Amino acid sequence: MGLEKGSALPVAPTGQPSFITSKLDFLVNWARRNSMWPMPFGTACCAIEMMASAATKYDIARFGMERMSFSPRQADVLICAGRVPYKMAAPLRKIWDQMPQPKWCISMGACASSGGVFDAYSMVQGIDTIIPVDVYVPGCPPRPEGLIYGLLMLQEKIKGESLSNAAIREEDPLRVGRPNLPPETIEELALPFGNSTQQNRASGLVSTSLVARPDDRKE
Amino acid sequence: MADKDFEAGLGGLDEGPGASATDPEAPFGEAGHAADHPTVAALRERFGEAIQHHVVVAGDEHVVHIPAERNTEILRWLKEDPEQRYLYLSDITAVDFGGGRPLEVVYQLWSMELKRQIRLKAQLPLSALEIDSAVPVWKAADWLEREVFDLFGITFRGHPDLRRIMMPDNYAEGHPLRKDFPLRGRFSRAEQTRRALSMEVEDYYTPEELGIAGDKHRHGQEAGA
Repeated sequence: MGLEKGSALPVAPTGQPSFITSKLDFLVNWARRNSMWPMPFGTACCAIEMMASAATKYDIARFGMERMSFSPRQADVLICAGRVPYKMAAPLRKIWDQMPQPKWCISMGACASSGGVFDAYSMVQGIDTIIPVDVYVPGCPPRPEGLIYGLLMLQEKIKGESLSNAAIREEDPLRVGRPNLPPETIEELALPFGNSTQQNRASGLVSTSLVARPDDRKE
Repeated sequence: MADKDFEAGLGGLDEGPGASATDPEAPFGEAGHAADHPTVAALRERFGEAIQHHVVVAGDEHVVHIPAERNTEILRWLKEDPEQRYLYLSDITAVDFGGGRPLEVVYQLWSMELKRQIRLKAQLPLSALEIDSAVPVWKAADWLEREVFDLFGITFRGHPDLRRIMMPDNYAEGHPLRKDFPLRGRFSRAEQTRRALSMEVEDYYTPEELGIAGDKHRHGQEAGA
């Protein structure tokens, strides 16, 4: 594809123009979404399904999740698979803070997304109280197809991002190691069915009001 | 109607299992016969009145109730007596029945040589939750007693390193497995989240915590004191 003398444009030996025009956003998003390396944060049975997703039969490497990155510094998407007790909240937040931008988070399974059946003193009621979550994968645990669907949804989401919108990637250094949500929101999420209601509402697909049963908090 | 039955079935759940059917003084379980378990017979002979009760639960599990103040004496004898040889401490745990009843510390012992097991229980009134540590007898008691301390608030006298093991070090809500502990914790969820995130993660990966710093730090002078 030499540059021929006198021609205005570079021409390949075949005679076809050897360049394409595209939007920078498209190119960047294409590269980002097809080379997401997951940072596995597996704490329970969901992690077994996550491992199955990475193994031969389901093989998420087909979609660009080439390998599990066991270092947060070389990871793009945090997959939180399993229940997170309060003692693991600080490590989870630390790993998230250590991941370089651009980064995304998938909350895999009922426990990570809302605390699941573990509405007890020891359990984080949804990891979105700790770190921002991009995609929630429902299930207990979700099958590998579910996780792969979640990853594809995340790819769809990345398609819509734009470099001109810096707010997406904005991080406040003062909020490192702090809860992701204001206290009132955490309280609201911790009500029975609070987090799933919130997620339904955020999806825009279901119109619902928060279910509050104050009797449940009686000691 | 079904609801009523359900409610009735829940009655007394807070009080835990009641007394034995045959002996109102004895704790839950069928009255045991010393002849069924050689260790119980030997215990009765050696310690006499100190063996308060002997019950059998779940068919063949022998439970012996001992006074809390003589626990290490009896445990050491069970381990060191050539006829008993309970070298393996399976578990130390505790039970809170609620309703102001005393807490029970439970020792589950296993004799590999003689293929026998026995369970010992010692009662502690809520006003004095202290018992001698079994660490000098079995080293395995270390973390088990830390767990009981963490979740029930029972102090083990003479334990070399008695601090929380499961809940975070900065946990300020008390001891979660006690019956008077609210299921969702004492603090609001926002406060619980804030406190959990204020924890210093690296503290849990120090050589001392991982046990690769040698025994000097944890089992040296402190154990003697």
